[in-house]
Amino acid sequence: VPADRKRVRGPEESQCPLLFLPPAAQTAEPREPRAGRGNGEVRPLFARCGLVSQAKGSSYLEAGNTKILCSVYGPREPERRDEAGVRSGRLLCDLRLAPFSCGKRGAWIQGSGERDLSLALSESLHPAVCLHRYPRAQIEVNVMVLENDGSVLAHAVTCASMALADAGIEMYDVVLGSALRQDGGASLVDPDLAEERGNWLAGYEENRGGVTLSLLPNLNQVSGLHADGELRADTLSAAVRTCMESCHKLYPVVQQAILRAVKRKAPPPEK
Amino acid sequence: MATVQVSEAEKVYIMHGVRDDLRVDGRGCEDYRHMEVETDVVSNTDGSAKVSLGHTDVLVGIKAEIGKPKPAVPNEGYVEFFVDCSANATPEFEGRGGEELGVELSNTLYKVFNNRHSLDLRSLCICPGEHCWVLYIDVLLLQCDGNLFDAMSVAIKAALFNTRIPKVQVSEDEEGGKEIELSDDPYDCMRLDVTNVPCIVTLSKIGHRHVVDATLQEKACSVASLLISITHKGLVTCVRKLGVGSLDPDSIFEMTEVRNTGTEHPVQTHTRTHTHTHTYIYISEHYSYFFI
Repeated sequence: VPADRKRVRGPEESQCPLLFLPPAAQTAEPREPRAGRGNGEVRPLFARCGLVSQAKGSSYLEAGNTKILCSVYGPREPERRDEAGVRSGRLLCDLRLAPFSCGKRGAWIQGSGERDLSLALSESLHPAVCLHRYPRAQIEVNVMVLENDGSVLAHAVTCASMALADAGIEMYDVVLGSALRQDGGASLVDPDLAEERGNWLAGYEENRGGVTLSLLPNLNQVSGLHADGELRADTLSAAVRTCMESCHKLYPVVQQAILRAVKRKAPPPEK
Repeated sequence: MATVQVSEAEKVYIMHGVRDDLRVDGRGCEDYRHMEVETDVVSNTDGSAKVSLGHTDVLVGIKAEIGKPKPAVPNEGYVEFFVDCSANATPEFEGRGGEELGVELSNTLYKVFNNRHSLDLRSLCICPGEHCWVLYIDVLLLQCDGNLFDAMSVAIKAALFNTRIPKVQVSEDEEGGKEIELSDDPYDCMRLDVTNVPCIVTLSKIGHRHVVDATLQEKACSVASLLISITHKGLVTCVRKLGVGSLDPDSIFEMTEVRNTGTEHPVQTHTRTHTHTHTYIYISEHYSYFFI
């Protein structure tokens, strides 16, 4: 593979300096649990539409330190004719984590983890978009994670659905994402990165895992469900219910942001 | 994914059949197709298995190699998955056509094994921080007729059961240099504990009901399916909604309930094949005595 000379490349193999901390420093974290919020509380959400002027629709979302930018292009003619669906349009989702977004520097080239997130994002958005209204067209959704502080997929789904709404793409409903981390008996809603990774030594205990759910709130349909780790069946059902509740908590913020963007684009007539 | 064209009339026929708990091939909604598991099929691997589920054929080969443990987990070995969609299965997979599906399948496998109990990775450690066993699990799709995930997980479990890792000894010389010695006896090997390795059950929603082990035709009628991987203890290690449709929350709860009965089938077949492999190994050991 020829090297890409335009980009500054890190050494072939490098390790994060945090790995070389003495083990005592890793475990004895003086951090306050959940930074003053309850287990069931989501982080305060900041959401705005229409920041990228070139795009048909765009949105920016902040939840704690997780920062996500999304832009939507289209509907437009697909580059490759043979890939165009005659009856319905195509929704192309691309999620990227900025190289500096995580603790460890990432590559510019999309890795398999990002591809997996893109697929999950596409599967979660698909049920909400009226693709039959856009035959022979493609809609591109580009999500860039600027800072990863946990629950990336959940917030990316919310952010992308806001951008789709801002672009004026016909949808059945907005899609809201929410994540949950199960740590033994505690279910932490909207986990940050440290909570998402969990304590290393505690990893051998049972009933630990993460759940990400996307919901169409008005139709009450689950458009995406992703869980990993190790969960009991009853914990899983409880986690799904908790995620649905926290999705509904996000709804007013998202609704307000979309409404604001609509009002700016089409100001109400003056009396 | 390999797909088949199904006409509207065929779809209606399949959906009405599912409503009445009678599928096109005569199965009920919660019945699996006939499953055959064969272990130790490829001699050059450390463990291998072939599973055929109806017309879906999956071959898994496991190779163990000595590698360097990941710096974050110095006292554990690790597992690598690779799924190859061969063009034998469908012409769509020719060239790079199967790559997307292959990446999706292997990413799902990483999620399924992303916990501490499925495999005891600590047993793969040779010398903490320096050497460990790396298990390369290669999955080859030979034929696809739906339900790849379930067939693949059963094949992986059987291949892991079949895996024999040679025992090694670490000796230290005067200067502190470490040397790895392989045992002379080819039968002196370590086996993996597979009791907690999960099996995947995929439930496809067709009309108002859901079916297990959907064929390609049935898959064409379903807009969304739920993949659940579960261990024999009933612990869920991975859940994924597949497909472009959405699911009603109630049907998700219903599906997770059904799963308890749904898994019995592969798990039962599984234990049965395990006893078969037990006898098989027993016999081969006898043969080795015979030759000595």
